[in-house]
Amino acid sequence: MSRAFIISLLTFALLLTGLTVLRGSLLAMAIPFLLYLFYGILFAPDKARLDVHRTLSAERVSPQTPVVVSVSVTNCGETLESLAIEDVLSTALSVENGSNHHLISLGKDKTFNFAYTLRGPRGGYALDTVRAEASDHLGLLRSFQLIPAFGQLFVFPPVARLRQIPIRPRRTRVYAGSIPARTGGAGVEFFGVRNYQPGDPPRAINWHVSARHEELYSNEFQQERVADVGIILDGRQRSNIYAGGHSLFEHSIIAAAALADSFLAQGNRVGLLVYGQYLEWTWPGYGKLQREKILHSLSHTTPGISQVFDGLQYLPTRMFPPESQIVLVSPLMEDDYLTLVQLRARGYQVMVVSPDPVAFEEGFLPSQPEVRLAARVVRIERELMLNRIQRAGVQLIEWNVSQPFDQATRLAFGRGVQGSRK
Amino acid sequence: MTLFALFFGIVMGIGSLAWGYAQAGLPLFARWIAFFGAVWLVAVWQRWRWFAYVGLLFNFLAAALGLWLLNLSPGWMFAGAIGGLLAWDLTDFSHRLRFAASDEERRAFEMRHLVRISMLAMLGFGLASLAMLLKFQFNFDWALLSAIVAAFGILQLVVWLRKRD
Repeated sequence: MSRAFIISLLTFALLLTGLTVLRGSLLAMAIPFLLYLFYGILFAPDKARLDVHRTLSAERVSPQTPVVVSVSVTNCGETLESLAIEDVLSTALSVENGSNHHLISLGKDKTFNFAYTLRGPRGGYALDTVRAEASDHLGLLRSFQLIPAFGQLFVFPPVARLRQIPIRPRRTRVYAGSIPARTGGAGVEFFGVRNYQPGDPPRAINWHVSARHEELYSNEFQQERVADVGIILDGRQRSNIYAGGHSLFEHSIIAAAALADSFLAQGNRVGLLVYGQYLEWTWPGYGKLQREKILHSLSHTTPGISQVFDGLQYLPTRMFPPESQIVLVSPLMEDDYLTLVQLRARGYQVMVVSPDPVAFEEGFLPSQPEVRLAARVVRIERELMLNRIQRAGVQLIEWNVSQPFDQATRLAFGRGVQGSRK
Repeated sequence: MTLFALFFGIVMGIGSLAWGYAQAGLPLFARWIAFFGAVWLVAVWQRWRWFAYVGLLFNFLAAALGLWLLNLSPGWMFAGAIGGLLAWDLTDFSHRLRFAASDEERRAFEMRHLVRISMLAMLGFGLASLAMLLKFQFNFDWALLSAIVAAFGILQLVVWLRKRD
């Protein structure tokens, strides 16, 4: 209820009662209320005509990187005696230096500039509204406006630089790259020996084999091409546990970002599917633009609950080219095993990067014998599941999230092991 | 500064009403008014902003009923009603001050507002007291004229407020 309405109501109640009962003292008592009301009405602001511009020092930043926001408010209308301005921000963002709200008087054609520094966690934030509330001297009559002022801030997940991740999908694309293509041709790695064909360079002739036969033989090398890589990020709420105010999903995001960056840097065609509350699909593509698209997608992804996508059985495999490489980033649930086996059976090369939920949660629990025993039991169960998955031919990287992801991959692939658990 | 003024408004309003009722030989009423004042102070401490509306209504009704039915001293009753109005205004103002980004902004607005509201309160109290001093015969003709003016005023106000929206 408006403040002016309340004062008006009280004033007129007094006046009417005073007139009805013919009591002068009641009418006299109405005078202060009348004065208050008329003073407010006399200086009531017109509709504020404000022109607002906002600039950000950076629109794409890493988590918790400070960003300076500068806002300029110009009054194109009459003088505003009391103007409350607030640059509306997401609750996830925190203001560090300066303030995003001000209480000022702004004269006609005058400009008020203010700046503040904010920082925030991973996410996509729209900074598109400035809230302005103009009022009279007493705040009795107010005019409230939401003024559009376009701005956006993307806080991308941190991207760890990985050394080359060895993948060997059955099928590759036609363009030259760094993935062994399982076919002979120009390359570095020895692939086989075949009959000499006119046009073969002399250095390709395998003299040892040719000496034992009557005809010439040439060495053949394995072609290296780019491949299709589909990264699946498990965004199911039930598999991404929360502990100590932290989510394991954030670690999955870091892994997915690092893997996408690495695969794209190798020249591969990479797509991203976030499998959680719904399917969020980033079409496969190459290069820096695709990296940007994937980071955009990862910046605002959150885990969610869906009855349909509760298990991995509804994974839309048709989105991935046949016999391509699939990389699943997931803490893994017991019932995911079957889906992974089915993917292998369909000819996909499957790699699983699994942030370790047991170590993650244990890190936030008190070190008591009961906790240690429970963790041991759960860890044994998980070990069994991971062993079964590995036996199905799935390349597996188990990641203890207390160590950096690049370190985990270095340990996993450093000794030429095709998938290992640390 | 605003908080101090707010406490002053509550204490002045409630104290005046309680004193007025006590002087008229109604100590029980005075005690209840004082108790309400204590609750209001607790409400300020707990930041129950809605309570300011209850306080305004309470002070207003206590003063109006005191004047109308009990014929209490107008000075104390006016002071009670004005105290309630002050406290109600300052509760909202202190909430509005949350927009101030710095102490300078805050102090500038506080000073201006407190000067204005104090002037208004004093002027209101002075005019009301003057009106009581300059008593004149309030007959039916005056009442009719005042009623017509009041109705016209309400009409104008409603039209103006609707235009603004």
